[in-house]
Formats: sequence, C-alpha cells, structure tokens
Amino acid sequence: MGHSLLEALNVRVVGSGDRILVLAHGFGTDQSAWQRILPFFVRDHRVVLYDLVCAGSVNPDYFDFRRYTTLDAYVDDLLYILDALRIERCTYVGHSISATIGILASIRRPELFTKLVLIGASPRFLNDKNYHGGFEQSEIEKVFSAMEANYAAWVNGFAPLAVGADVPEAVREFSRTLFNMRPDITLFVSRTVFNIDLRGVLGLVRVPCSIIQTAKDVSVPASVATYLKNHLGGRSTVHMLDIEGHLPHLSAPNLLAQELRRALPR
Amino acid sequence: MASTTLNDLPDVILSNIIAAVSDVRSRNSSALVCRKWYLLERATRSALTLRGNLRDLFMVPTCFTSISHLDLSLLSPWGHPLTSASDPALIGHVLRHAFPSVTSLTLYARNPSTIQLIAPQWPFLEHVKLVRWHQRPQIAAAGDELKILISEYGKLNSLDLSAFYCWTDDVPPALESYPSVASNLTCLNLLNPSFSEGFKSDEIKVITKACSNLREFRAACMFDPRYIGYVGDEALVSVSVNCPKLAILHLADTSALSNARGDPEDEGFTQEDAKINVATLIEVFSGLPLLEELALDVCNNVRMSGPALEVLNSKCPKLRSLKLGQFHGITLPVESKLDGVALCQRLESLSIRNVADLTDMGLIAIARGCCRLAKFEVHGCKMITVKGVRTMASLLRRTLVDVKISCCKNLGAVQSLKALEPIQDRIESLHIDCIWDCTTEDLEDLDGFDLNSFDQGEVSGRPVEHTAKHFTGSDYDYDGMGSASKKCRYSYDLNSSYTGVDVNSDGYENGNGYGERTWEKLRYLSLWVAVGQLLTPLASSGLENCPNLEEIRIKIEGDCRELPKPAVREFGLSTLVNYPKLSKMHLDCGDTIGYAHTAPSGQMDLSLWERFYLIGVGHLSLTELDYWPPQDRDVNQRSLSLPAAGLLQECFSLRKLFIHGTAHEHFMMFLLRIHDLRDVQLREDYYPAPENDMSTEMRADSCSRFEAALNRRQISD
Repeated sequence: MGHSLLEALNVRVVGSGDRILVLAHGFGTDQSAWQRILPFFVRDHRVVLYDLVCAGSVNPDYFDFRRYTTLDAYVDDLLYILDALRIERCTYVGHSISATIGILASIRRPELFTKLVLIGASPRFLNDKNYHGGFEQSEIEKVFSAMEANYAAWVNGFAPLAVGADVPEAVREFSRTLFNMRPDITLFVSRTVFNIDLRGVLGLVRVPCSIIQTAKDVSVPASVATYLKNHLGGRSTVHMLDIEGHLPHLSAPNLLAQELRRALPR
Repeated sequence: MASTTLNDLPDVILSNIIAAVSDVRSRNSSALVCRKWYLLERATRSALTLRGNLRDLFMVPTCFTSISHLDLSLLSPWGHPLTSASDPALIGHVLRHAFPSVTSLTLYARNPSTIQLIAPQWPFLEHVKLVRWHQRPQIAAAGDELKILISEYGKLNSLDLSAFYCWTDDVPPALESYPSVASNLTCLNLLNPSFSEGFKSDEIKVITKACSNLREFRAACMFDPRYIGYVGDEALVSVSVNCPKLAILHLADTSALSNARGDPEDEGFTQEDAKINVATLIEVFSGLPLLEELALDVCNNVRMSGPALEVLNSKCPKLRSLKLGQFHGITLPVESKLDGVALCQRLESLSIRNVADLTDMGLIAIARGCCRLAKFEVHGCKMITVKGVRTMASLLRRTLVDVKISCCKNLGAVQSLKALEPIQDRIESLHIDCIWDCTTEDLEDLDGFDLNSFDQGEVSGRPVEHTAKHFTGSDYDYDGMGSASKKCRYSYDLNSSYTGVDVNSDGYENGNGYGERTWEKLRYLSLWVAVGQLLTPLASSGLENCPNLEEIRIKIEGDCRELPKPAVREFGLSTLVNYPKLSKMHLDCGDTIGYAHTAPSGQMDLSLWERFYLIGVGHLSLTELDYWPPQDRDVNQRSLSLPAAGLLQECFSLRKLFIHGTAHEHFMMFLLRIHDLRDVQLREDYYPAPENDMSTEMRADSCSRFEAALNRRQISD
C-alpha cells in the first residue's frame, strides 16, 4: 500500500519530547480510546497513534481478507509505520490484541523497543491442559454463533442484531467491542484472535515488559499475568490495578495513566 | 377541454405565481415541468440551504439568483470550518458570485477566521444567525469574534446567537463597540442553553441600553439570587425603560432552557424565592405597550403574581402569547370571579411550568377567561386532575388545538387522553407523558363540575349570554339534554357521543370495553417516555385511530445504568404502524445515559438499549427520521452501535436521515441499502460537540466517502 498506509490507518503524532510513545488500541475500538490518557503524556513524549486496519475508522476497503489472516500482517503494519516515521527506539503500549502484536513485533525487531507495556494481554485465550486462558471452547462457540448470525443477516440485507450482551458473561467483557466492527470483518478477525497461541515464543522476547492487569477482568484471569511474567524472555513486572473490566483506559483513565507513568522508562 | 393552460400566461405573471410558492417539494416539482418553468423557479427561489461537500463548493449552482436567505450551516462535513478547505478565498468569491442578493445568512462559525472569510462577501446583510456547537475557541479577548461580525455590517438589524457556543461576556463589549449598529438592531436572540450562567443584571442593562430599538429580545439570564449580579427588579425595569418598542420579550433562566424535566412529586415551590417583586412586574408591563409575546421562565418562586398578570391585560392590548415558569398565584379563583391570568382574554397561547398552587378551579377559570386560547401547555403542576383539564377542554372547544401536558402527577397518558376527549376531533398537536401506571382517582365515578354556578354572577365585563353559549353550544353536548335548558351538567356519561363506552379504569390494557377513539385532526404527537418503559400500551390507551397523524416525536430519558436488562425484546415502535400517514419521526434517546463499552458486570451496554428501542422501526413507512443515539457521559460519546445501524437500514422508504451523534464509516455504509435515501448527515448538535478528530467517525474523509457513495446512486423521483 505504500505511503498511503499512514493515511489509511490514520496515523497521528502529537506532543513533543525526546521520548517516543506508541499507543496501540485493541480490537473493536480505535485510537479515540486513548483520548483521556493522552493528555498525561503529550507534554514530555511524542505520542504515535494509529488505528488497526479493522477499526471502525478505517475504510473497510483496505481490509484485505487474504492478507490479514494471522497477526503477522498486523505486525507488518506496525513496523512499517515505525519505519516510515523513522523511529529508532520507542516505548510501546498495547491493549489486548495489540499487546500480542507488540510481543511479536519485539521478537522480530528487538532493538526498536525500549519497553513493552502490555495491558490486558494474553498469550492464549482458550483453556488448555494445565493452562487457564479464561475461555472455554463452548463459550467461544457462543460468541462465534452470535457473530455468524450477524454476518448472515448482514449479507442478506437484514439487521445484524447480536450485541455484546448476548454472549455468556465470561466472554462478554472481552468480546463486546468486537461487535463494533463490520460483521464480516468481525467474524474473520475473531477467528484470528481465538486461534492465537503465543506460549511457544514468549521466551524469545528480550525487551523488558510491564504487564498491567485489571483485578476484575472477567476475560483475562489473573493467572495469565503470572504466566506471562514467568515465561517472557526479558525482565518483566506485573502491576495489578484494582479496576473492573477489560478497558481500563476507558473506564478508569486516571488510574491507568498513573500506572503507565510508573511503568515508563525515566 | 380548455385550450389555454397555465403555461400560456405571460412570463411576468407566471413568475409571480411561482415566486409565491413556498413549499420546497412543490417548487422542485414545478421546476420539472419544462425548461421555462425551471428557469422561472430557479430565478424566483428566495431561500436555500446548501448541502453538499465543502470540497465540491465550486460546483455550486448559479441559477438561484434571487436567493435572499442562505443557510450555510449544514455543509458537509458538518461542523468543519470553511477555512479548512483547500482554497478559502475562492469559496468566498464563488458564494458571492452565485448568490449576489443575500440579505439573511445562517453560518456555522467554527472559529473567527470563518467569520472573517465570509463576512465581507455580503456587506448589506440584515439578518445573521451564527451556529456553533463546538466549544468556543480561545480568542484574544471577549467579544472579538462578534466584533468582527458587527464591524462589517452597517445594516444589520437581526442577530441570532441562540445556537452559537460563546460566553455571555462576548456580547456586551461587541455591542458597545459599535453603537450605531447596535441601535439599528430590532431583533436579538441570546437564548442559548450553552451559557453556564446566563446574562447578569449589568449585562442586560448594557445590552438593552445599546439596542434601544429592539422589537424582539430573547436572552438566557441568571435569575438565581444566590449569584452575584443576578437579574432582579432593576434589570427587568431597565429592559422596559431601554426598549419600549418590544413586541417579543423572552427571558429564561439557563436552567429552564436545558429542558430538564422536574420531579412530578415535587410540590412546585423552590427553596428560595426570586428577587422579583410583583410591583416591578407591573412597572415593566406598563412600560411595554406593544408586547405581543412574553415569556418569563425563572428558576425561583414568584409568588402572588396574579395582580401583575391582570396588568398585562390592561396595559398590553396586543399580547397573544404568554409563557411563565415558576410563577405562583397566577389565578386564584374565588367563587366565580375571574382574576389573574384568567383576565387576559386575548391570549391565544399559554404555557405554564411549575405553578404550585394551580388547581382544577384555576384551570377552569383560565378556560372561561382566556376564551380564545388555541395553545395550552402545562408542566409540573401537581394538583390538577383529569376533571379540571377535561372541563377546560370542553370550555375551550372552539379554539383549543394544541395541548401539552407533561410532568403532572395526576395526568399520565391515559388520564391526559381522557381529559382531552372533548376536543378529540379538533386537536392538531399533542404532547403527553407515557406514564402508564399513574395512580389517580377511579375515572368511573367522576362527576363533572357543576358549571351552573358560573352562569350568573360577577364575571367582570362579560354578559351572561356569552358564557352560556360555551356551555350549551350545539356542536357539543355531553349528555344530550338539548339546548333548551341553560343549565348543563357535565358528567362522564358518554352514551350519546360514543358507542360502547364502559369507563372501566382497568380495561385499558386490552382495549376492550373502552371503544376505539378517533383523533381526526391530530397531525403532530409528542411523547415522553422514561427509560425502561414500553411504548406498546399506547395503542390501547386512547389513541387508537389517528388517521392524519404525520409526525411524531418520542423522547426517552433516564439512566440505564440503574436498570436491569429489559424484560421484553422491544420497546414497541411497531405499535405506530396503526397510524397510516406517519412519515416523520424524531427519536430522541439523547438523554438516555449509560455505558458504551465499560459497563461493569451485571450491567448492559448501550448497544443493547439501542437495539431494544429501534426494533420495529423498519415496519413504519418513514420518509424522514432524526435520531439521537443514547450517550455515555463519561466519554462524551453519542454513537451508533451495530444493531442500530442494521435496524435503521431497514427503513426502506427513508429519504432523509439525520443522526445527532457519531457513527463509524462502516455503519454508515449499511445505510446505502436504503434505495431512496438521499440526504444523510451526522450532526453533533449538542453542547459541546466533540472536538477531537481522533474520534474516527467524524473524519472528513469518512464523511466524504460515504456521501460520494450516496450521491452516486440513481434517484428515482
């Protein structure tokens, strides 16, 4: 896509300072999710914001179903942006799926990141033997059937009616924002998301990580944070926030901003 | 068959005829007849609202040479500054060239440079309305923006800032700097809900002193005596002294402007009284002999206001319209003597809010005294009941066509409709609250008021025959007792007029035993619904048949966060299928508050609520829809969710859709499925409009892409 990727993904750089901060949102939201966090950092950082290709703000024509089959394509986009902006080192803050993207990016280009801040991150969502990811297969299936119903309706010209509240409680918090995307993109992207399994490559990460987790995130159990800390290759610390929900940057921005400050390199 | 047609008339006459046509659709049709008619229509059109994208402005048509009123506030992308276009200077010239005769302009002035750009194009403007819902930008000093505007226009006589987000401090300095323009102003509208505090006493004095020729003055004031500089007796007197030519005066406290609904349980008296004396009011009214419309909407009690209102009748002979908020004692009838506002016999429109001591007898007094009343609005009066309103309606049967009853404890939906039975076949515009479980007296054993005692007695200045005519008029006769006898008892025995009536207070839900009621002339219906309540009971509440209902407004208000998931799947918009001519709807969920994405466990996101409210909207054959999505106050977000977009796209007959909030581009794209949709806009017309263009939905590009797609389609008619 060339230079137009910066435009297509609504890349913005705001603020001033020596250090560079990249804020990456999770699926179903867009960069406006950071709007209440931003004021805390623009005075002493140059902040890079962009939208994932599946975000509501991006022209859906740009979503290439053949390209975005795995997270690698999203990682490509991120690295392209950083290179195009001639960024050599930055701190990367990623929420949910963007945390995963950040982990993968740091494996490919470790010198690019001074630190990774991972908010609501998980290497794998589905439960496994000896691993508690937080989601049961049956629960995920409910999410998919809601999405499939939406997709079928949409394709046939009817109203896609399933909303975040229609899926089981356990999955609800995590998947609610997925229903903000266009039904075909939602279905497609969800398959990508629920198939992720990064457990094998966590050890390849060399970059230091701050793992920020809300105490009451129904979709990402506290044990996942510990798992990450134990398996990430670089130095990592866990910070639990006494907040409810999967979107602390929306529900408790002040608390999160303080925590971010502490996590950022001085 | 006639061989001469309209087309054979000489052009001069034909153009006058076409010029007189004001309805836009009719004009568009006439332009399609033939080329000559097209040219004549275009040449004689006098008002135009420009829609279309800023980028395409160079394509503006030049055939509308007679346009005198031009509205530029709705250009796309909505709310973007004109100066953000690639060549602003060109825009100015293009507009001036296309519309040389503009004397009245409405402009979205996002920032001062917009005003600087546009103002010089039409130096002879007489009327300007500035619109801004986005926050006031940081300007050098208060009033600078307005000074730019006023300095350009020597001939300005009307200025409307009612939708312009600015500070009260901005206005007086601008008017003081240009005294000759200020004294030319005949019309000034400062009734703006965005002010946090409203104009203070000094400011009112300065403004009225500068603009001594005002005929219309509307302003949001600070009446609350707890604030320094509040508007009290002095300021009010200064208004009448400085502007004696006033025909329209509307002063409202900003809290009243925000349309906040009170608590129906509230007694109606506020903690503190206003610092406004009745004597002052008398002085003010005496000084405004040309007054035709008066509105005083304050936030603290004005007690015993009756005598002042009587003065209105004697000193303001042209007064037709009166609106009062928090005035008490407006009429305290003793026996059959009329007093207070009931003496204002020439009133055609009366609107009252929070009159704590208003009783049924007061209503009847008003009905007897203000015998020409065509429009009546009552809000927040706890003591009035069905009896009073019903008697009032029957007394005013000849004239009353527009009624609004809201926030009155004893008058829920069913009760209000029952009370308005006497004018059921005449009423054209109606507002009721959809409160379904109003506890009130059993409607079965209501006796009417015995109005015989009013036949005789001291009704000042009114002959007895005149009053009798109201009671025994041949067009309405409650119990068929004939007009032979002057005495007439109103009772709820309705056998003569309606068939199968069984006034069974619990038979409403299922409709039987009540009889279908027809509201022949009702064209406009407005409803207020608390969040969580349903619309479905409406059909059997008394509004069964409304054969001519064209337009409906539904406002849903409340905090979703306190409610459980709705027990029923749908709110009930499908109920409105009963009204065959319904084509326009305003669905306002803007004051429904909830969580967009951050609902804690056990609570529901707004997407669920939107789905609940919108299911069924596709069954109605609407051609125009204005929709306000619910809001998440924490993040100042009012945005369309997936099911909302999907449900809106099912309105197959829609031609115009305005969403008062934001929406993702891909949701907007759903709407392209609506075949005849031709005019869509996202208008964030609430204070404050979201500023940052991080918020995806308002990016200029998204907007342009959508509109390009919309405009590419073939339009069938």
